[in-house]
Amino acid sequence: MAQDLPPESIIIADWHRCAESKDFFNRILHKKKRKQFGLLESPMMAPHVAVETVQYKVFLSGKSGVGKTSLAARLAGLSSPNMHYETTGIETIVLYWPVKLRENGRVLFFRLQLWDCGENALRRFDHFLPSCKEQVDAVLFLFSFTDRTSFDDLPNQITRWSGPSNRIVKMVVGTKFDLFMHSDVTQREVRQFQDTQGLPVLRTGGEVSDGLGDVAPFLNCLAERLWNQDCMAATLPSGPTHYREGALI
Amino acid sequence: MMLQDGSTQVLCLTANSGVPLFTRGASKQLPFSVIGSLNGVHMFGDGQGVVLSSCQTDCGGRVVWRVFHDSVMLIAVNGGHGSTGVIQGHVKGEELFLERLLENIWNCMVLVLGRDELTNMRNVERLKKDLRSCFGLIDQLLEDRHQGIMGNLTHCADCLLPPNPALVQEAVNGFTQSVDSEFGCLVVHGRVAAATENWWRLAPQEVILLSALMRMLSSSGSASCDYPVFLPQGSPTVAHRLLRFQLLPGADVCVLCGPTPSLQKAQSDLVRQFWSPLVETLRDCLAVGERCLPGTVSLRVPDVLALLVLNREARRSVSCVRPSADDSPTLPSKARCWELLRLFYIFAATRYFSQEEAPVPGALAEEKAHSRSSASGDFVAGFPHQPLQCYLVTEECKCYGLQTQQHQLFLLTPLSVPTFALRNVATQTLLAVTADTGF
Repeated sequence: MAQDLPPESIIIADWHRCAESKDFFNRILHKKKRKQFGLLESPMMAPHVAVETVQYKVFLSGKSGVGKTSLAARLAGLSSPNMHYETTGIETIVLYWPVKLRENGRVLFFRLQLWDCGENALRRFDHFLPSCKEQVDAVLFLFSFTDRTSFDDLPNQITRWSGPSNRIVKMVVGTKFDLFMHSDVTQREVRQFQDTQGLPVLRTGGEVSDGLGDVAPFLNCLAERLWNQDCMAATLPSGPTHYREGALI
Repeated sequence: MMLQDGSTQVLCLTANSGVPLFTRGASKQLPFSVIGSLNGVHMFGDGQGVVLSSCQTDCGGRVVWRVFHDSVMLIAVNGGHGSTGVIQGHVKGEELFLERLLENIWNCMVLVLGRDELTNMRNVERLKKDLRSCFGLIDQLLEDRHQGIMGNLTHCADCLLPPNPALVQEAVNGFTQSVDSEFGCLVVHGRVAAATENWWRLAPQEVILLSALMRMLSSSGSASCDYPVFLPQGSPTVAHRLLRFQLLPGADVCVLCGPTPSLQKAQSDLVRQFWSPLVETLRDCLAVGERCLPGTVSLRVPDVLALLVLNREARRSVSCVRPSADDSPTLPSKARCWELLRLFYIFAATRYFSQEEAPVPGALAEEKAHSRSSASGDFVAGFPHQPLQCYLVTEECKCYGLQTQQHQLFLLTPLSVPTFALRNVATQTLLAVTADTGF
């Protein structure tokens, strides 16, 4: 189970601070900002450095207004919308993240596609949820620290995803953590929730300070769990099945 | 007026009870009492059997009212311009702009929510909440005038002419077919670079609106979207799916389709298959940039400050400003050039050149026809013939308008171009833009 995974046991944390990672991280940066990749693009490494890319689909679940779109933008290094507009359909964001495996020192590019769908749209049009569930690898359940009901709604959200197929990484994300003055959810409740549900809880919020450091712990944690799930599924520790789509781009 | 110069605010109320539904535009909202009065004065007229459609304030501000399907009232309030000039003084033109803005906003509400939800108003509080999902698109329409987009005003789709049109066209057709659709479109820098034949058969307002939607989705940086859309003319009560894929940053392809294929499937199976071979071609399109015209079109660069060419039949347009690299400080800035181009278009189009109005929804046609005749009226009405060319000399630039059976050209030149040469420059420019490109 995912919760048994000790943190940072699979990949090297803070790798973005090492000098040797510079070459890899430079591929996802442009003028010190995160580079935007179209669907036809991917990070280009020098021809002699073969880096494999593994693809994952991540769905963001949560009540309207908790900050799904804004979290997606933050993780991808895009400027997050300064006004709240409801997402009236599915919008996906693609981001690349290089990771170094602790075990054998291999470097991989994680290509994460974050699927974001407005709650009202999910309710009004019934083709959206199946589309989001199709071949999904992870679900992030979002709640906002400033909205009590979004926290109380979590068990509901989670049961929607407890199906026969358990090969989905599940994580809980608390947004707007910086607005502690208006916090509606106490730390103790979060810990309690973490224990009963057995899901890790991450926290985000506040100004985006230094580009990579801001999102690195989050993305590393997500990458680690996705990779671990693949390894477990493959039973062979060396050959996760995810290469079926991963392939070399 | 309580609004800043030049800023526009749009108010939306229920038509029969005057309950405010939303306000967009301008940083400072009009006070509730003013909104109430604006609604009240319209209602008063209504009671007397008079339709109040527009009025003007002492300082050049303007208010335009429009009721849609007896259910929603939209009011546009414009703060007016602080400065006065030959073109700005032409207030009737601003009315055309505001009328089109209201029409676009109504269409945008239908596009997102469908007509039924807007006309069968059962629960006002719920509608208010649902309307929030239109704000992104409405704000996009209000901002477009600052970004060199003319389509909202001209109702001709803003286009970019790609250097290799045949290749791009083929890919758009193929990709569209592969998702079982007939409606597909490639958008580069927010302008249509290629589209299937049936895409161009959509109502002009729909093409404009879908372009605005694409610009909004594209600017958020998302990689793909599955977006429900109602077509205001073609399908106001049944939603279609708009699938959009960002091929390269700045280049997006979209298709209108039915229940299949799923976004996941279209993206993983089809996008690469059709578009991977065209990466370089797409980069060439992106390189055309703001100029919107391929390198093969040679303009008399120092003489052209800004141009707008409309294809009247196809309802398409190309426009660009300051194509020269000359950064002379004596010339108006790019932003100012766009503004002047917009104003000159309004000036010439309302005064001299006839309007080919696209069909408006039945109930509005009469009201529309009435307001149109009063706007273009005074001058044209006095003559049995159609003006073909016009020019205007202002303190900032010289302007020349020219129309043929198929095209309209609106050209701005620097003051240094002698007035007697304007016609020559204009004719040559129109020829240069249309001859090789087949525009």
